[in-house]
Amino acid sequence: MDIILGIRVQDCTIIATSKAFTRGISILNSTDDKTRQLGEHSLMAFTGESGDTVQFAEYIQANMQLHAMRESYELSPKATASFVRNQLASSLRSRKPYQVNVLIAGFDTKTEKPSLNWLDYLGTNVELPYCAHGYAAFYTSSLLDRHYRADMTQQEGLDLLQLCVKELQLRMPMDFKGVLVKVVSNEGVKIVDF
Amino acid sequence: MNSVASQFTFKNTKQDFQDAQQSLSGFQQLNLAPSLALPPISQPTDFLRAHTDDSVNPDCKIKIAHGTTTLAFRFKEGIVVAVDSRATAGNWIASQTVKKVIEINPFLLGTMAGGAADCQYWETWLGTQCRLHELREKERISVAAASKILSNLVYLYKGMGLSMGTMVCGYTKKEGPTIYYVDSDGTRLKGDLFCVGSGQTFAYGVLDASYHWDLSVDEALELGKRSILAATHRDAYSGGSINLFHVTEQGWVFHGNYDVGPLFWETKAQEGSFNNVEG
Amino acid sequence: MSDPNSINGGSAVAMVGKDCVAIACDLRLGNQSLGLANNFEKVFQLGHTFLGLTGLASDVTTLSETFRLKTNLYKMREERTIEPETFANLVSSTLYEKRFGPYFVGPIVAGINSQTKKPFICGFDLIGCIDFAKDFIVSGTASDQLYGMCEALYEPNLEPEDLFETISQALLNAVDRDALSGWGAVVYIVTKDQVVRKVLRTRQD
Repeated sequence: MDIILGIRVQDCTIIATSKAFTRGISILNSTDDKTRQLGEHSLMAFTGESGDTVQFAEYIQANMQLHAMRESYELSPKATASFVRNQLASSLRSRKPYQVNVLIAGFDTKTEKPSLNWLDYLGTNVELPYCAHGYAAFYTSSLLDRHYRADMTQQEGLDLLQLCVKELQLRMPMDFKGVLVKVVSNEGVKIVDF
Repeated sequence: MNSVASQFTFKNTKQDFQDAQQSLSGFQQLNLAPSLALPPISQPTDFLRAHTDDSVNPDCKIKIAHGTTTLAFRFKEGIVVAVDSRATAGNWIASQTVKKVIEINPFLLGTMAGGAADCQYWETWLGTQCRLHELREKERISVAAASKILSNLVYLYKGMGLSMGTMVCGYTKKEGPTIYYVDSDGTRLKGDLFCVGSGQTFAYGVLDASYHWDLSVDEALELGKRSILAATHRDAYSGGSINLFHVTEQGWVFHGNYDVGPLFWETKAQEGSFNNVEG
Repeated sequence: MSDPNSINGGSAVAMVGKDCVAIACDLRLGNQSLGLANNFEKVFQLGHTFLGLTGLASDVTTLSETFRLKTNLYKMREERTIEPETFANLVSSTLYEKRFGPYFVGPIVAGINSQTKKPFICGFDLIGCIDFAKDFIVSGTASDQLYGMCEALYEPNLEPEDLFETISQALLNAVDRDALSGWGAVVYIVTKDQVVRKVLRTRQD
């Protein structure tokens, strides 16, 4: 099971995704990136049915780029999440729905606030301070409930993430080959050493 | 296809059941166990499974109480046992005041996850077996032996629908503080730290992050309580109140019942945690 | 287990009082056993009419946005906000449009008619059959429990303060017996010239 985890702190949102790309009983790649950048200040992490995931993510990415080129401004994180939700919700009642769950991390340059949205393939959309998809949520939610503070710095957020990853390494039955960590702040999207 | 599959399916017939009962009555230690009645049909186990096991048939009308968070861990000064108290039948909360720690005797505790009746019945029965052992051997039973009696018993009934995930906790001179995990598959494991039930992962999350061997008694009790609280918050099928126990060389000590309703808000205010909740 | 109506959980209730109505919902949004969010409101204000939506969270969002659009268009065309009775028929026809691929929701409507000053509540099934009621309407995963509470506690012609107490107690005690509802609650008390919104502090397990 893939790990997709997000934590919103004082002035940025941290996204962690597992590096293992698993098919059947093999890990095919241990440097996988389960994220796509949707704009200057927005990043989408995804998990779900193989094939659907990347197709859907790149479809969203292309549409976001198209919007930016046509209108010469980028959607706010809230609008981005709403757009993605609409795509998932209408896909759900189509002949072949996308089975993709995503997290959207963004930084709203107007309000100067970071954000994190949880969306599943059904088209459920909620804004949360911290969240995860799949089994990872069962191990990390309680930890985050205990240690999360809204006014944490980026470093404190990464320390908290470290705690979550340690727990996952201890209790998850499968080796997920560590996590790729990206941070979305007012400076855009950056990969962080972890 | 079905006929091929059925050859490889583990199936208990009425005959198997009677064999099991006969082997029970031949087993001198088990003489006192009341006999279990059997529905007068050809495939009692399949019948039971079809009507009560919601993993096989989600629409089954008889819902056996499920859903729990229980934990026990060993530390320098004994064992802490903490459990929630919710029983659910589907989404219906059947009770918020279930006793999920079964006091087998003054030195042994058993926890309850899975079928409530199964755990209650067989752990009470385990109590009688432990007492018989004491009378015969003039010495208290070891945790290893007690847990093995339970594990052998459930293994005898394997495939017939028993559902239990339990921890047998005790303190004896030769073993020290000891925890055995026993479940209805027949698994029996010795260990330092276990969480069992639908909320186990949430409890593990909090427990693993702060657990270490040299915890003081107060710290350990607080950590056990806090881990169950975390699970009651996130897991829909855990909740109600928390029962806390400490197992020492002198036997177990009850450390109170805490209603999650007020406890949650007290904990939140005290720790500054649960920042996902407003108010 | 894969019943769309009980994946996310959640409940709502509406009641009629003396020249007032009340509508309330819980705040939980879950993914089966896992609680995800405790700020997922299921009651939406559309002018002076209130809509409660329980069921599949995705459809709750889709429909609340659809009705926001439709009532805003109505307001522009008619130069007045929609009346509860009119809105009930709009809900009904919108749901029936999806007769062969329905939204998995249990809507309820509450409000006071601005012309007649009469309180109005009603509920629907998922394809738009209207259930007019004079006393109360319930919906969601705790609907069985809510029926029990409302049948026991409800009395006609309650003043707004007493109606608030009644609906709050009914909702709170109902969701405390449902594994998929709870995690906070919101109550709206609507009289002809004011709307009061109250957030209730509840158990968090």
